[in-house]
Amino acid sequence: MDFFVHLAEGFIGMFQEGGKTFVGLVTGIIPTLICLITAVNAFIKFVGEERIERFAAKCTGNMILRYTIFPILSMFFLTNPMAYTFGKFLPEYQKPAFYDSAVSFCHPITGLFPHANASELFVYMGIATGITQLGLSLGPLAIRYFLVGILVILIRGIVTEYITKAMMKRREAQAAV
Amino acid sequence: MSNYRAVQVTKASSGWGGPLTILPTDEKPYIASITGGGIHPVAARIAELTGGIAVDGFSSKVEPDEMACVVIDCGGTARCGVYPKLGVLTVDVTPASPSGPLINFIKETNFVSGVKENNVSLMDEVATAAASNAASQQKKSAQELKAEARAKVASMQGNQPPKKTGFIEKIGRLMGGVVGTFYQAGRDTVEQVLRNILPFMAFVSTLIGIILFTGIGDILANVIKPLAGNIIGLLIISIVCALPFLSPLLGPGAVIAQVVGVLVGVEIGRGTIPPQLALPALFAINPQVGCDFVPVGLTLGEAMPETIEVGVPAVLLSRQITGPIAVVIAYVASFGLYSE
Repeated sequence: MDFFVHLAEGFIGMFQEGGKTFVGLVTGIIPTLICLITAVNAFIKFVGEERIERFAAKCTGNMILRYTIFPILSMFFLTNPMAYTFGKFLPEYQKPAFYDSAVSFCHPITGLFPHANASELFVYMGIATGITQLGLSLGPLAIRYFLVGILVILIRGIVTEYITKAMMKRREAQAAV
Repeated sequence: MSNYRAVQVTKASSGWGGPLTILPTDEKPYIASITGGGIHPVAARIAELTGGIAVDGFSSKVEPDEMACVVIDCGGTARCGVYPKLGVLTVDVTPASPSGPLINFIKETNFVSGVKENNVSLMDEVATAAASNAASQQKKSAQELKAEARAKVASMQGNQPPKKTGFIEKIGRLMGGVVGTFYQAGRDTVEQVLRNILPFMAFVSTLIGIILFTGIGDILANVIKPLAGNIIGLLIISIVCALPFLSPLLGPGAVIAQVVGVLVGVEIGRGTIPPQLALPALFAINPQVGCDFVPVGLTLGEAMPETIEVGVPAVLLSRQITGPIAVVIAYVASFGLYSE
């Protein structure tokens, strides 16, 4: 009998532990998250999509801006997955590179601006929970994640653009033969 | 006989519902503007294009069954449900999505929101059909009718001089707009939290509970530590996750990256993995981000089919190179992080 009691307690205990974690997440993260996301959502509505489009389209000419500011703006204002629609401002051979660049930013941005990809928060938040448990502040990690993210999407954009160009050329050569 | 033309009203980028086709008739000639006094520019525009009569529904009562449509500025509680319920086509100038106690009556076929003046456009085929009906005579009669209707409206409003939008009204409308926008933003946010964030939190909490309680954590630590606990291991993870035949399988919903993120987070919390490795780990567990989504993402960017054919392998190949590079950059950038 004792064995069964033990078993039942263990079984429930597992979910009590889970429940504790859940309450921690809900009370610790959700309130801030809701206020932050509400403010950013309102800001996005005030600015309006048209204005962003006009501004973003200006950033496409320069290679550095094209794979930093441009995808960041698209991710911040249109969020995942509508951000990829900004590809329409680019010539065909740059579209895969832009997509690569933008999609690679949809997690680094969540440390500071969780609204941009709210349904996939736990790539960052999962690891961040560990940092919080150690009693360390999340600020430094979020900032560095964001900044390294910018550098990485720039590199991805440039590399992918290069590969796309090469592959397109090879295709044309094949088609010519 | 039709002296009216149909217009199409579409939603703005932030709006909901529609497009609606609005065609006033002799029985329903009024474009009611119930926007806190005065005739809203959108109502004026609809009236101008359709030949209907714009009425300030705030200061003079209009029967719902005489309305061709109603223009409101409701942020999403009462009015935006009342008119759809009464069977009146409803044009909301604030970008509200269906909500409030009458939410069930709000449909895409009777409600459009976030409408600005340039969302109202004449429906060409209807216009030409009407024009061929009675070319020159029709214009006159339309004008006559309009004049007649204007007189009617004027008499309804009494001897008041035509009001300009007052200062107070402007302030009021501005405030209403700001509050409405915030309200809608809050509604979007809470919906997102309920639909996406809370369910995943439930999943993650249960997972963490099981790991912590059962001692699986100790076993996991033995697996994860040699991989995620040093830069070489992280590099190996990133190379494997970025393999072009593997990365599209690991992508969907970022579920795998999120679960691995949680596992690594648990081990960081337990002290198995040093906290400064959190940064490179974030990149190591996620070189496959979006690899499953390339064709869809490119389609959203209006890419041609040939571009997609090239783009998919280009992105996958690029990840094999940039995935590990990202880990190295993040590793370098993690120097001095959490190290007092």
